Order: sequence, then C-alpha cells, then structure tokens
Amino acid sequence: MKSLWKTFKQGIIYENPLLMLMIGLCSALAVTSNVANGLGMGLAMTFVLLFSEIVISLFRKVIPNSVRIPIFIIIIAAFTTMVDLVMKAYFPDLSKSMGVFIPLIVVNCIIMGRVEAFASKQKVMPAIFDSLGMGLGYTWVMIAISAVRELLGNGSLAGIPLMPASYKPILFFILPPGGFLVFGLFISFNIWLKGKMDKTAKERA
Amino acid sequence: MKGSIRLGIALALFAVGACASLAVVYAITEERIAAQDQMALEASLQDLFPQGELFEDISASIASTNPGVTIQSAFLAKQGEASLGLAVKAAGPSYGGQAVLLVGVGLNRSIAGVRILELNDTAGLGANAKNPGYYVDKVNKVTFPGQFTGKFITDPFVVKSDVVAITASTITSTALTTIVKAAADSGALWLENSTLASPADVSSATSYSGSAASESAPETTGGN
Repeated sequence: MKSLWKTFKQGIIYENPLLMLMIGLCSALAVTSNVANGLGMGLAMTFVLLFSEIVISLFRKVIPNSVRIPIFIIIIAAFTTMVDLVMKAYFPDLSKSMGVFIPLIVVNCIIMGRVEAFASKQKVMPAIFDSLGMGLGYTWVMIAISAVRELLGNGSLAGIPLMPASYKPILFFILPPGGFLVFGLFISFNIWLKGKMDKTAKERA
Repeated sequence: MKGSIRLGIALALFAVGACASLAVVYAITEERIAAQDQMALEASLQDLFPQGELFEDISASIASTNPGVTIQSAFLAKQGEASLGLAVKAAGPSYGGQAVLLVGVGLNRSIAGVRILELNDTAGLGANAKNPGYYVDKVNKVTFPGQFTGKFITDPFVVKSDVVAITASTITSTALTTIVKAAADSGALWLENSTLASPADVSSATSYSGSAASESAPETTGGN
C-alpha cells in the first residue's frame, strides 16, 4: 500500500509530466487559454491514461515485444476516440472549443511514455496509481496555468468575469507567448518546491 | 516466418478488440451526437427567424456563387404557408482556419441576420467577431455580425467602407464579409429561381436579377 501511494505521489510534483518530465507540452500550451478547457483536457487525458494503462498492464504478458508500439497505439486510439465521441454527445460546447486537441491525445507523449515506461512492465494496481498520479499532476498544472492566463488575459475565471470593468485584459497572456511565459514560471516554481521538499526530507532523515 | 505470422495475429486480435469496443460506444453516442447537432442548428435557425415554424431543407438545390465559399446547407423558413426567408450555412477560410456562418436572407433581398457558428481566429483579436460584448458601433451597441442585419445584397460589402472592421483584425473582417456576401448572393439567386417571391416583390425581383448578374461577377473575383 505504501509503495502504491508513493507511485501516486510521484506524478504530482516529483515526476510531474508537464513540469518535470516536460512531455506533452504542445497541447498543454494550446488549450490553456481558459479554465474550462484546461479542466476538460486534464480529465480527458486522465481517462485515456487510466484505461490505456489498465488494459496494457493486463495484457502485458501477451503483447509481443516487437509489435508493442503499434498495439499501444491501437489501444490508446480506441480510448481517445471514445472520449471524443462521448464529449461530442454530452458536452458539445467543450468539445467544440477544444477542437482538434482531443483526437491529438492519441499521439500525446505522456500516454505513450507512461505506457511504455511503466504499464508495460508493472502489475495492474501500480499502473492504476501511476496513471491517476500522472493524470492528477497533468490536470492541476493545466487548471493552474489556464487560471492565470484567463484571469490576466480575459479578466475572468471559468467564464465568470472577476476583474472590475475598468480592467483592460492583457491580451499577451491569452496568446502563445504568454502561455510560454506562464509555463516557464510554473516550471521554476515546481523546481523550487521540489528543492524545498528534498531539504525537509533530508532533515527528517 | 512462423514468428511474423504470430505477431500479425496478435496485432489483428488487438485491432479487432478495439474495433468492437469502439463500435459499441459509437452505437450509444451516435443518435445523441446527431440530435445535438440538429438542436444547435435549429436553435440558430429559430434565432434568425423567430417567427419561423418550419424549416424546409433546400440544401440540394442551392449553389454557391463564390468558389471560395462552400454552402453546407440551406433552409427555407416558413410560418404556416408563408415563406419568411432563407437561412444559408456557409463556410469559408479565415485567419485561423475555416469559419462557418449562418446567414439569413429575407424575401426582400436584405440580410435578416448573421450568426457565427464556428470561428477559430486569435482570441482577443479576430475572435471578437463572436464576442457578444464587442461592439463595432459602441453608441448603438452593434456587434460585428450585427451590422449586416438589414443590409441589402446590392450594397457593396466592402470592409472599411460600408462594413466596419474589427480593430486590428482586417483579415478576419474581410474573410467573414466575403462569406456573408457569398451566402447572401447564393440565397438571392435561389430565391430568383424559385417561385417564392412574395407577391409585392415579384416585379422588383425580376428587374433586380439583371443588375445582380452584372454586379456579382466582378465582386466575387474581387473578394478573393
């Protein structure tokens, strides 16, 4: 149980896919211009990651090593298409605003990376905790970045105007350069946080 | 040889499994997705023609007057037996990819309204076209698509002359204006060829057709 908890925790700060492993960045930068998109993308990713890791971990012994990549892609693509269809059916507005980035989850490095590096070598339970940790790590960063960008660049949060009417939105933050800037600040914050946590861990030991 | 057959079979089995599960999800969501699209379309049709009771699909019989703009579908709005006008769903290129507009054309050849269904232009710039709080005329609170309402299709439709552009977004403004113009022209042409002109309109409509033909030719080429 303790090691499962540790696996789960890894993805949130220490091995955060966006801030430490720095994979799957392009869609993360593209959709984080408002909070609804950030949250939707985070949940969609977590869902695909969770089920892909479960299935691949279950079948890891029967997947021939030399064709494992095509098989991973088939499994990931199937779950991504399911998410896409379900979103179109039940959350049409969200699906519209995320456009092409949902189908692009198929080629997202985070999923491919976790499946290859973790699920294909581990039992189902650790794989579930790994996918949840990575998914949560991805989702909190997406929400945090999109909150900063939406608040400064549009004066609202999740579509609700928060800034006084006299506030003139700083467009820069909605546009790609602002995305890079906020992203960079989050990376440095995470490295600072990790350093601090390492220190307390050492002091305790 | 034997090894590669085994690999092929493994791959095929996974593909079959994925297909089967996708088919199940598709079967469950298919109806709902179609219903959602239909609902969104009906809501915008109703929005353009609030008195419309029935919308007859005339997509098959309408053709685009501008090769750069495709007419995705078109509907004839009816209240009881009387026709109210046409709603033309047209798509064309804009700054950030395809833009889809719904353009209402009244029987008197004026624009009943323009709704933006899909636009992926830059947030804060071109995307202001679909921002209900962005006014090209701040005094009268007229939005960018709102300014087309009531315009006659014989008007020039030139950005920065009779169409007010969105600040710093000339490409979006021009692209959307071109789509509106093409959709309106196509709708007018359909009305010309149909027998639907309202009685009072018939004489003016026939005299109009001559001028429309001579006028729309240079403008379609100019628009591109």
